[in-house]
Amino acid sequence: MTTSDDAVAVLGAEAPPAAWRGSRWRLALPVGLLAVPMLAFLAYFFFYPALGLLLSSIQTQDSRGIIGRPFTLAHYARLINVELYARVLWTTLRISIITSALATVLAYPVALVMVKSRPMITRIITLIVIAPLIVSVVVRGYGWQLVLQNGPKGMLNWVLMTLHVIDAPLSVLYTEAAVVIGSLHVFFPMMVLPLASALGKIDPNLEDAARMLGAPWWKVFLRVTLPLSMPGFVAGFTLVFSLTAGSFVIPAILGGASAIMLGNLIEQQIFVVYDWPFGAAIAVVLVGLVLAVNGVSMWLLEGRRLRRPD
Amino acid sequence: MDERFSGFGAFILYTITAGMMLFILAPLVLVMAVSVSDSYFVTFPPQGFTLKWYAKVLQDRDFLEAMRLSILLALGTTAGSLLLGVPAAFALVRGNFFGLAAIKGFLLSPLIFPALVTGLALLQILTKLGSQDARLNLLIGHVVVTSPYVIRTVVTSLQLVDENLEDAARTLGANRLRTFWRVTLPQIASGVAAGGLFAFMVSFDNYPVTMWLANSEYSPVPLVLMRQLVNVFDPSVPAMSTIIILMAMVGVLLLEKLVGLRRALAA
Repeated sequence: MTTSDDAVAVLGAEAPPAAWRGSRWRLALPVGLLAVPMLAFLAYFFFYPALGLLLSSIQTQDSRGIIGRPFTLAHYARLINVELYARVLWTTLRISIITSALATVLAYPVALVMVKSRPMITRIITLIVIAPLIVSVVVRGYGWQLVLQNGPKGMLNWVLMTLHVIDAPLSVLYTEAAVVIGSLHVFFPMMVLPLASALGKIDPNLEDAARMLGAPWWKVFLRVTLPLSMPGFVAGFTLVFSLTAGSFVIPAILGGASAIMLGNLIEQQIFVVYDWPFGAAIAVVLVGLVLAVNGVSMWLLEGRRLRRPD
Repeated sequence: MDERFSGFGAFILYTITAGMMLFILAPLVLVMAVSVSDSYFVTFPPQGFTLKWYAKVLQDRDFLEAMRLSILLALGTTAGSLLLGVPAAFALVRGNFFGLAAIKGFLLSPLIFPALVTGLALLQILTKLGSQDARLNLLIGHVVVTSPYVIRTVVTSLQLVDENLEDAARTLGANRLRTFWRVTLPQIASGVAAGGLFAFMVSFDNYPVTMWLANSEYSPVPLVLMRQLVNVFDPSVPAMSTIIILMAMVGVLLLEKLVGLRRALAA
């Protein structure tokens, strides 16, 4: 920046004094102070409560419901050792991984079409992909409940039976499959958008070059497009995994008793059993799971291990 | 069709894409279809046509009360997260101090933290503080989860602002406030608007935080809807849902008009 400070002085306006221009610190400090209210707010209403939850997960609760000493890791052991709870942990992992994997496979074509089609088609696809993102999760869960309804009156069963694809109605609702379908619907945009943005950044000349050198379409995709889109894939996978693992509404509406996830278990422990320390311990495990996946993905993205130039 | 896609590859791409569009729209269209069904139970295929379920919903005191609460809460949340988030975004883009990256990470961390746990942690602390007012508690919880959205969109739009224009304004005698108001704000207006709209929509739809902080007296729309799903089997539930879908569509179209959807979300 080479604003003439003398000219400013001559104009006599309330312009930045020369010293401010010279020293980054003096310019920076007042601007930095603007973040203080937000920082204070989050420190008090986000960071501090999170630590409080961590603390109560290793405390004990007496018969009057008061939480305090002695410290213990028994609540964590309980989550792993009691088969009922361990199963919820595995169900959560399984549903989250299957949902993210399915989302990846199905989002690639959509993102490709979104990026490479004519503007009109791109616009329509973008609208359809994003619109439901803003529709209440409860409403979407309800929609899937109507579609998957067990018995011949469910939409899916009615359509399949009318087309004579099946003879007897399927029972999809209240299974893990229903939760995967619902989660896929809710979190699909979170996969498509990062993928589309990564695909959009790929230099089309690279694909053209591969094509001109005689590579068939699938080879162009596998050897050029796919490797270059890895940052979008990692970002999308992380988002879908984290959101699915932490979800409550979809398993509550579509999973019934057979596909309870960690979020539902936490709610049950707090609101039904009033076991705060155990509920807190499950919450900590959920956070640990999500942070671990995010950590791996940061490590992959920041280290640019995914952007080999070859 | 683009010449980039041809043959079998194109066929696969377009088939899957079309299938996914159907997958995305089917449950929403079905909800809207059964909301006008003239039978006392939700059935497929829908029978007849009636708007009586809408009349019923619009006279339902619980639903209307929840709507009022949700709209006020979302407005308050929008105001709160803009007041806290816009200055913070400024600090992140214009500031140049030690630990900037760490602070940015901290400010955006509620985004990756499961909202369900955020709500639970807040419930514990607010209970300890003796904060009994569900409306205030909900406002605090919603601002925690919506402010990162505001920060993200405003940071993105601030990065596009040409600082030379501000320097020019200052050189010509405008003070800091005037420069901000007349030069900077018009350039980031769409980002601020998008952030605010995001905050509104996230707040209006929030379940995982709301679930912990609401009580029987103050229950926002998602909770009331969830209760209805379990207890009510006539098409008034799809009618309520359709009203919410239509409101969301208006939000999407506004967002598209203001900033363009891809930009707003990819930020």
